[in-house]
Amino acid sequence: MDILVSSLFAGLLIGMVLAMVALGLTIIFGVMEIVNFAHGEFLMVGMYTGLLTAQATGMEPLLTLPVAAAAGFLLGIICYFGFVKFVIRGPMVAQLLGTFGLMIFLRNLALLFFGAEDRAIHQGILVGKSFNIGMGVIAPATKLAAAALSVIAFWAVWLVINRTKIGKALTATSLNPQGARYMGISTERMNALAWGIGGGTVTIAGALLVNFWSVNPFIGLLFTMIAFAIVALGGFGSVSGAFFAGLAVGVITEIPGIWDFLTYIFNFGWMADVPMTSLKYMWVYLAYFVIMIVRPRGLFGWKR
Amino acid sequence: MKKLFLLTLAVCLVACWWITGSPVIAQAKTVKIGAIYPLTGGAAAAGRELKAGAELSAKIANNMMPGLDMDMAKNAGIKSLGGAKIKLIFKDHQANPTLGADLAKKLILDDKVDGMLGCYHSSVTKTVSAVCEQYGVPMINGTSTSPALTTRGFKWFWRTTPHDKWFTKDLFELLKGLTQGKVKGVKAVPEKEISNLASACEKTEWGSHVSSIIKSLAKEYGFNLRKSLLYTAKAPDLSSEVRSLKAARPDVMLFASYTSDAILLVKTLKAQKAKPKIIWGQDAGFEKPEFRSTLRDSIVGILTRTVFLPKVAQIKKVAGQVNALYKGKTGNDLGGASARAFTGVQTWVHILEKAGSTKPADIQRAANAIRIPGDQLVVPWAGIQFTPSGDELGQNVLGSGLIGQYQMVDGKLVLEIIYPFDVATADMIFPFKWF
Amino acid sequence: MEALSSALDFSDFPRLDMIIAGVLGGLLVIFPATPHSAFAMATMIQFLMFSLYGMGWNTIGGYGGQVDLGKAQYVGIGAFTTAVLMVRWDVPFWVSMPIGVCFAVIWSFIIGYPLFRLKGHYFAIATIATSLVLKDIFEVWDFVGAACGIEISPIKYNPPDFLHLIFKEDIYYYYVILGFFFLGILYVNWFRKSRLGFQLRSIKDNEEVAKSLGINVHWAKIKTYAIATSFVSVVGSFHACYIKNIEPEDTMSLDISILIALMAMLGGAGSLWGPIIGAGVLIPLKSYLKEWLGARAGLIGIDLIVYGAIIMLVSAVEPRGIWGIVEKVRRRKRN
Repeated sequence: MDILVSSLFAGLLIGMVLAMVALGLTIIFGVMEIVNFAHGEFLMVGMYTGLLTAQATGMEPLLTLPVAAAAGFLLGIICYFGFVKFVIRGPMVAQLLGTFGLMIFLRNLALLFFGAEDRAIHQGILVGKSFNIGMGVIAPATKLAAAALSVIAFWAVWLVINRTKIGKALTATSLNPQGARYMGISTERMNALAWGIGGGTVTIAGALLVNFWSVNPFIGLLFTMIAFAIVALGGFGSVSGAFFAGLAVGVITEIPGIWDFLTYIFNFGWMADVPMTSLKYMWVYLAYFVIMIVRPRGLFGWKR
Repeated sequence: MKKLFLLTLAVCLVACWWITGSPVIAQAKTVKIGAIYPLTGGAAAAGRELKAGAELSAKIANNMMPGLDMDMAKNAGIKSLGGAKIKLIFKDHQANPTLGADLAKKLILDDKVDGMLGCYHSSVTKTVSAVCEQYGVPMINGTSTSPALTTRGFKWFWRTTPHDKWFTKDLFELLKGLTQGKVKGVKAVPEKEISNLASACEKTEWGSHVSSIIKSLAKEYGFNLRKSLLYTAKAPDLSSEVRSLKAARPDVMLFASYTSDAILLVKTLKAQKAKPKIIWGQDAGFEKPEFRSTLRDSIVGILTRTVFLPKVAQIKKVAGQVNALYKGKTGNDLGGASARAFTGVQTWVHILEKAGSTKPADIQRAANAIRIPGDQLVVPWAGIQFTPSGDELGQNVLGSGLIGQYQMVDGKLVLEIIYPFDVATADMIFPFKWF
Repeated sequence: MEALSSALDFSDFPRLDMIIAGVLGGLLVIFPATPHSAFAMATMIQFLMFSLYGMGWNTIGGYGGQVDLGKAQYVGIGAFTTAVLMVRWDVPFWVSMPIGVCFAVIWSFIIGYPLFRLKGHYFAIATIATSLVLKDIFEVWDFVGAACGIEISPIKYNPPDFLHLIFKEDIYYYYVILGFFFLGILYVNWFRKSRLGFQLRSIKDNEEVAKSLGINVHWAKIKTYAIATSFVSVVGSFHACYIKNIEPEDTMSLDISILIALMAMLGGAGSLWGPIIGAGVLIPLKSYLKEWLGARAGLIGIDLIVYGAIIMLVSAVEPRGIWGIVEKVRRRKRN
């Protein structure tokens, strides 16, 4: 029983952070229908930013969030004006490969600068502390804080999109770019803003994640795939969908724990031999595949 | 415009004709040995150690070092080859087996090395040794411990280090010793208090073999292996693995991990408040300086198997001397990886000395007949002698392992020898205390 | 017979192209006779392998316009079939290779059927997902060696062994893959003029129109996908014998998939010579950058940085690749 509850709990906690990871992807897609393959690399940049800022200044790692957000926002804008702007004129194939190129470029730039070693944060007030909540659930303080901050950030972005003028302009652009242009909204600026917000949110998620995950230059792809799965599940372009889909995908990554629980209940020998932990991300990829085939609009999809 | 098209196609093909590979300069008095190590990547820390150990060994071989009680320190270069110097050519395999094989081919065909050394990761050693076997180039392996490596019938492959079957057996002997009260400083522990085991090993060549050895030995010694899982060493997060281990409620946790994953594992164990009585690591990550410096006092009580501890330097005079040189060079004590890389190069020197030539066939004959006495070595082995026939070809039969435990002595983390029982340097901390 | 003459008929290309292609083909044949380093030889074999991968990708991705980023799974299927059959039952390469193709094609039907209901980005991401799923399964599947992979022992065979394709010198491998290379060119030459080839191009231009012309779009895509798969699987089998140690992490990684698509894209998707030009530019560039800047100067990853930059540049400036530039120049000249 312990393992079931603690796995579900851990899944939901990480799910909140994962939702934050996917938020940027879904915003960018919603506004300009381009899939950013370099999304995970943005996250990696965020992780390195958080890690290096904390190490260089001796700051509490969680306080590096604004730095990471600023870096991500800038990166997003630079990518848009320096690259994406030219690519969206071309055919779909070019967009696909273009962002792929961006992914390879960023990843190896990080490899050149930071080396292939895994790095992790070892200092900070929260690092290494954990609470025993009962029912066998042990919540590491860093994860709790990351989940809470993710939810707050997510909520803030949601407010910006749904309650402010700029947000309304963004929504308008995503619903009907042509119409938005007639209404005097500069779609160019909206696109850039989408990239900026996309970059900023994902680097925030990165700076949160680095508190308990180690980072290396190759980490991006995993998160790109996770983010795709979340966005597919939540519906391409849907912000609120991304949140619930994030929770769902978080639980999916904890399938090994649920499997362990079933193993102990039914006590079949063969169940214990299934290498479930090695397959934990396979379920995410599979989930993406199945969702796309069965319900391409996602659970909360509003746009195709 | 025709030119443009012609150029694109022609340039790329002409580029292929370009003969690269470092020019082979005829230097009479060097023996070139290719050393393929993980100089970047997740095991870069190990790679640095290996490189430093090998370089130190080559330096001692190439120069006279009167203060050192080693045969190879007495001459400058290889005496029987007219004072030929050892030249190590380092390449970086990044823990990638295919890249390793590629590099080996390059070293053999383009750099024309006389022999090979390496490669730390068993998976890479596997592919590199296959290339060496194909080209008939002798290879000495000092640090890869997967048992399968020497059971392949290769005639150009020799391994100086003992392998995991011995090491894991040592562990089970230690556990048995615990129940019988043989361990220094610990009263006999009731058998059922340490009967439940759980293991987590990285999933490539090395770890998966360790995992299966643990499985079979647990059965043989009558322990109950409740959970055994494999994980990828590149994983950024191991919390679900740790939860799974913890749910099995083991008394003893066994790991085979490289550097960054070992750190991550212990961190996660601590965060999850796991309460095993014994934690044992299969060398590699568990005895790296990084492991110590990042986790500091939280690793007190963790056991690791190894072949070299700084404590050995106190028992063995040669080891102390070499350790001092190594510390002067790198700032760290010799560890399992560096000591064995040192021994690997040393074995090369002895073999070349005996062969008196760099012809592969002569080297092969010399290697099969070599016997290096234990007092020459920094590692606490009875010596080096390879099996020339049988199931295990080219395995050093005189090696042995140690089990060390991290303990705090005067505010400093040290590895104390716990096993073998007769050379134990401190009382064992049992059970493991974390919180 | 008709198919053969169609395959051998290159008359729709300008004469200049044919002369250049002939000369370069000749150079490829005599390459091993010239003095070369082992490194150059390995690079050339890589070039030929990736040209073949690219030709395969080009059928579905270039002529058909479906961006497939999951080709690595078929490399894996081909390679593992050959290796497992050879190690466990001593089956020769020439038998195991067709078996591998069968497996790959069957798998391509299984996942191709649902996959081709998707379009554009969704299709591309889904192919990545399937490839990663298969890789994860191979990594825990003990029968194929799990994460350790499978080693074809070099001492079990007596090189040169043409039946099992186990050689000591690379020159044999070179000629084997060169043979496949020429066969591949002939096949694609036939394919592009075949009924399916025309159907595909009309699908690429406009799927709705193609449908209204009575083309079974879904089925045409699946068939072409199977053809692309066979190409990749054959080279995968060859890869197993050439490398002799295969593991999922290496053979089935996403990087392979990307590289395959990239070669074709850079050279010019949807043209016969595109993938070959792409591989001819990128593979030597990659190898030599890696050797000069990477290994010697210690700049790890520099080859891929340049790579990434090239892709970005090409996709932003000329999405149709090098061949696209050539054609543009020609057209301008004609006018």
